[in-house]
Amino acid sequence: MSRRTALQLVLAILAGLVGAALLHLIIVLLLPQFSDRDAYTRVLAEGEIQRFWRLGEAPDKAGLAKDDPYLETAVCGFDLSETPVRIAGAKSGIPFWSLAVYDSGSNEVFSINDRTAVAGAVDVVLATPTQMTQLRKNLPASATQSILIESASTDGYVVLRALAPRQSFADGVSEFLDKATCAPFEWRSRSRF
Amino acid sequence: MPPDHRDLVLRQLSPFAPAPVSSHQNQCYSCGHCFAQGPSPPVFRLPLLIAIALVIAFGGGIWSTIAALTATTGFGAIRLGAWEAFPQAQTADADPYAKSHRANAGKLLYASAEGLAFTASVDDAGQRLTGECRYSISGQTPAARFWTLFAAAPGAAPPSPAADRPSALNSRNALFREDGSFEIHASQAAAANNWLAVPAGPFRLTLTLLDTPTAGSSGVIDLSMPSIRKIGCGNV
Repeated sequence: MSRRTALQLVLAILAGLVGAALLHLIIVLLLPQFSDRDAYTRVLAEGEIQRFWRLGEAPDKAGLAKDDPYLETAVCGFDLSETPVRIAGAKSGIPFWSLAVYDSGSNEVFSINDRTAVAGAVDVVLATPTQMTQLRKNLPASATQSILIESASTDGYVVLRALAPRQSFADGVSEFLDKATCAPFEWRSRSRF
Repeated sequence: MPPDHRDLVLRQLSPFAPAPVSSHQNQCYSCGHCFAQGPSPPVFRLPLLIAIALVIAFGGGIWSTIAALTATTGFGAIRLGAWEAFPQAQTADADPYAKSHRANAGKLLYASAEGLAFTASVDDAGQRLTGECRYSISGQTPAARFWTLFAAAPGAAPPSPAADRPSALNSRNALFREDGSFEIHASQAAAANNWLAVPAGPFRLTLTLLDTPTAGSSGVIDLSMPSIRKIGCGNV
């Protein structure tokens, strides 16, 4: 092998390494945009949005499962483009619950647990900044105790977790998660009359 | 069999083909085109070099990305002994590797008011946790309202709380000493006091702190996690 051939080979390998580094960066930076396995896509694959879906121990058809043996989990996809969304649940005898709101890029928007909530009950209204301005102008009586959350992203998902440290809590936790609602919040602003 | 005539013309017109070596006897056609007999000239040198560069670029790029995304959840880990947690992984401030990892893994992460999950796949001495050995997990957790602990094979689903063997414990059903510390025996065979049943082969421990100030701060509070000490292996 002549010296020139060796030089060309080294050049080819160097070009390959530079290309590999570029490709690595491109994949890492673009994967969040193009992934079809991310949590938001999986929550949407559960079924219709604006309702809670309970997760089981084994991964369901969407690929989601409970991440902890003692934490019962429910997820709900939301879309704020038309109306705000209200997440509500009764205060019950369970030892711990927590709620997390994520945008469509799976970035945390807001999170709360039973100690930081008003009177231990789940009552959160999610709205876009525009909807929030209208909502604050004319807050309905039913929402005066609600925690109002402004979300810059119109799409996203909510994760509601409840702790059942012993088997005897299982029924209460199931009731809490099954009765929790994640529904469009219908309210009429004064301008519509 | 003499080569096809067009092939010969192509070979002669190719700028990469070296001049025929004169020491070999040349064969000529009636039209005047000749070709050298002897070792085949390196016609495919440039395509070969391009192919090498492309294979290294695509193979190396894809392999390094997969390796980086499976090896770690990203930067910004807090490590306490053998335990590791990523308090920023679910936020918009997470680094590109953490965002890429979570987009690929598709897990529902714990938000800051929910909790923080620590994982350990090695003991305090840095050796891989395996079901062939017995371990003692002792000490205290950082301040939290509840904690849960389970053992599962890497990549496997978490155990069921209703399973026959206790592969999961939490702060409500564990036994504590008078000073609030605990000792948990992690082994395949049953042990007294707190027994955590582990699977055969390598496993990973996950300790989730629920409603903990640890999730909001990384390193400001003096944290101490329980130690993972190997007691023995096999029948020793």
